[in-house]
Amino acid sequence: MAIEIRDLNVHIKDAHILKHVNLTIPEKQITCIIGPSGCGKSTLLRTMNRLIDSTEGVRLEGKVLVDGADIIGSGAGITELRRRIGLVSQRPCPLPMSIFDNVAYGCRINKMYKRRKGLIYAVQKNLKAVGLWDEVRGRVRTPASRLSIGQQQRLCLARSLAVEPQYILADEATSALDPVSSKTVEDLFVALKRDYTIVMVTHTLHQALRIADNVVFMYLGEIVEAGPAAQVFHNPQQELTRNYLSGVFS
Amino acid sequence: MNVIRSKRIEELFFKVLMLAATMLVFALVISVVWTVLSRGSRAMSWDMITKLPGGGFYIGKEGGFLNAIVGSLYIVGASACIGLLISVPVVFYLNVYLKKTSRLAYAARLAFDVLFGVPSIVYGAFGFAIMVFLGLRTSLLGGIIVITLLIIPIFIRSMDEATRNFPHDILDASFALGATRWETLKVVVRQIAPGIATATLLSVGRAIGDAASVMFTAGYTDSIPTSLSQPAATLPLAVFFQLSSPVPEVQDRAYAAALVLTLIVLILSIGGRFITSRFSKNKL
Amino acid sequence: MPNRYEMIQRRILKDRVAQGTMCGLTVFAIVFLAAMAVGLYIKSVPVLENHSLFSLLGSSEWKPMKGEFGFLPFIAGTLWVTGLAIIMALPVSLLTGIYLTEYARPAVRKMVFPALDILAALPSVIYGVWGMLVIVPWISERVAPHFIEFSSGYTVLAAGIVLGVMVVPLLVSLFIEIFTNVPVELREASLALGATRWQTTRKVVLRKTIAGMLAATVLAVSRAMGETIAVLMVCGCVVGIPSHLLDACYPIPALIANNYGEMLSMPLYESALMFAALILFAVVLIFNLLSRIVLYRLERRSI
Repeated sequence: MAIEIRDLNVHIKDAHILKHVNLTIPEKQITCIIGPSGCGKSTLLRTMNRLIDSTEGVRLEGKVLVDGADIIGSGAGITELRRRIGLVSQRPCPLPMSIFDNVAYGCRINKMYKRRKGLIYAVQKNLKAVGLWDEVRGRVRTPASRLSIGQQQRLCLARSLAVEPQYILADEATSALDPVSSKTVEDLFVALKRDYTIVMVTHTLHQALRIADNVVFMYLGEIVEAGPAAQVFHNPQQELTRNYLSGVFS
Repeated sequence: MNVIRSKRIEELFFKVLMLAATMLVFALVISVVWTVLSRGSRAMSWDMITKLPGGGFYIGKEGGFLNAIVGSLYIVGASACIGLLISVPVVFYLNVYLKKTSRLAYAARLAFDVLFGVPSIVYGAFGFAIMVFLGLRTSLLGGIIVITLLIIPIFIRSMDEATRNFPHDILDASFALGATRWETLKVVVRQIAPGIATATLLSVGRAIGDAASVMFTAGYTDSIPTSLSQPAATLPLAVFFQLSSPVPEVQDRAYAAALVLTLIVLILSIGGRFITSRFSKNKL
Repeated sequence: MPNRYEMIQRRILKDRVAQGTMCGLTVFAIVFLAAMAVGLYIKSVPVLENHSLFSLLGSSEWKPMKGEFGFLPFIAGTLWVTGLAIIMALPVSLLTGIYLTEYARPAVRKMVFPALDILAALPSVIYGVWGMLVIVPWISERVAPHFIEFSSGYTVLAAGIVLGVMVVPLLVSLFIEIFTNVPVELREASLALGATRWQTTRKVVLRKTIAGMLAATVLAVSRAMGETIAVLMVCGCVVGIPSHLLDACYPIPALIANNYGEMLSMPLYESALMFAALILFAVVLIFNLLSRIVLYRLERRSI
């Protein structure tokens, strides 16, 4: 099993954001987290790579097991953990450097390649993997901020892939994109699930319906229902889930 | 893994450096304040702040520096009032009347920022040149004029900062009720009153400690000025002049004056921060 | 009962009058800056007529009685003191600024910010007192004996240290402002790739803000150049080009402040001092304009 969350509680200052969350995220599938805004989807995602730490006044309880190792309470291993868990954020966020350096950034930081050749090859490979190589070929030395928003998001994905993670977390990764780029990125995720375990927070049910293998429905900091997509969408066990789904479907 | 270890060592190294730098800054504050307070309190006495310099004051006889305290208060008080009268309308004009993209607003802000950066000694020299041109001697009036000029950019900058984040919705609401911009000011004033109060305290704190500009223009005297045309003593200059005396008793007075000046500035600074934290919750 | 139309007219008139007055006051600020430049220039015309600009700036002969005005010693003094102050203040301020924005917990910030406030609020003359009581004796008793036979302690080093301490709060507050303008998402993107906090700071935050940091430094330099009383109290005030850190020096602001009483007796002398003020004004003006414009740009881009 890939990521296992056991009785996770997250408090931020006085607010109880996540309540007794128990969840198993299966390997090499796409797991979509859905629910109304403010239900704790993003918090849950940010707990999995401990980016939640930078929030002021946060308190974590419970267990998050990544490959069997508890990541809560282990202080020093966080940076290595984050390397293994890639993140694609809501708005594309290119670092203030060239396209090449963006993809190479993580490799350099983790000193993954001794020779320059290896680095160049890795950058190329990952740009190809997100279908950006043909578009930026010949101008990889120009600032990444000149790319279109959709290209930037794919660049960010390539950047995440370059550090060879096992997991990819995506926080509404297509919400800032136009429909066409959104579709491209979506297809990309489907293609990537062969090699990676993907967890997505998504703002549209339709997207979850299209690409999810598993669905987690959250409401007010609790997991109401989780399971295979077909089951949650077509045969929800809980009243709440049914209402939420029908509210949108009808 | 080796990479992970070297990362961690680098992180630790710089963290220690940063902590050291921050502690150094903290230690410097304590050192400066403590030096002045401890040395000054040894020299302090009731006479110092209640008496004028007596005969033979500068060879170590009786007296205090009431003249400098009163002189400083006169100059800074008057300058702050005049300064407020000029800066408050300018801040309103920049924020309510002009649009965010206005070129005049840009140029004016730039000008005030630059004026803020002009050294006080240059203000002093310029003020002095003007006074010579007008045939004025060093006087209370000269001091007030120069300190007013000096304080205005400080006022405007800090008040502008407080006003800039002012929610424009409130303005719109007022306009929508048919109020003119001038009438809308009343709404704005109420909103930014704490900001203005803080700005005033901080600016007064800066102005009262400024020595280089009043040196040229207000001069120095042993008595309390009774008219605008007489020279006036000021606290910073009382510190500066008396400290250059070879007589230990006179130097002591300089330290006592430094203590008084520091206390005034500390009170103003802490007061300013108190108002800010009391009335605006979302500011650091 | 007043006519409704008249009333509105009056209100609008009031608004117009207020607008005119305020606009006048605002424009006055810009004019004032120009007036300052012109005034100082007019005052320094006599000395400029008698001496070439080159000899004024390049000569080190300073004999006001004989009418020789070479500003080189004072310019050198200013450069030494300012340079030293910035070299010492910059790393400390940068590290403190990074620590406070990237690392420190709110509780720590709540302690350090008021301390910085106090450091910024203390008047120049108080720093002078501190310098005379703490730094000068320290240099003459502890530092100087290792290098030269005797030093009074009133040296370039003393002035540099005092001045350095004085610009720290300015630099730190500017750095903090610049760093907080960097979006959080950028930092998170870097952290999520397995970068440590320091790697993120160095490769993303510092890289993104390099222009701003440069502007802040230039601003601090111009502030340090004009600082008068504190420097005057600890610099030694000996005319001459300092050759090392334990030499006395005589920066331009100290020169102006020290001689204001005598200058009226000799017309050229007054003019020369006004010229000194003009140099200072010009340098500070240029530095300020450049750095402020850069800072404005950055601020606007981040919004």
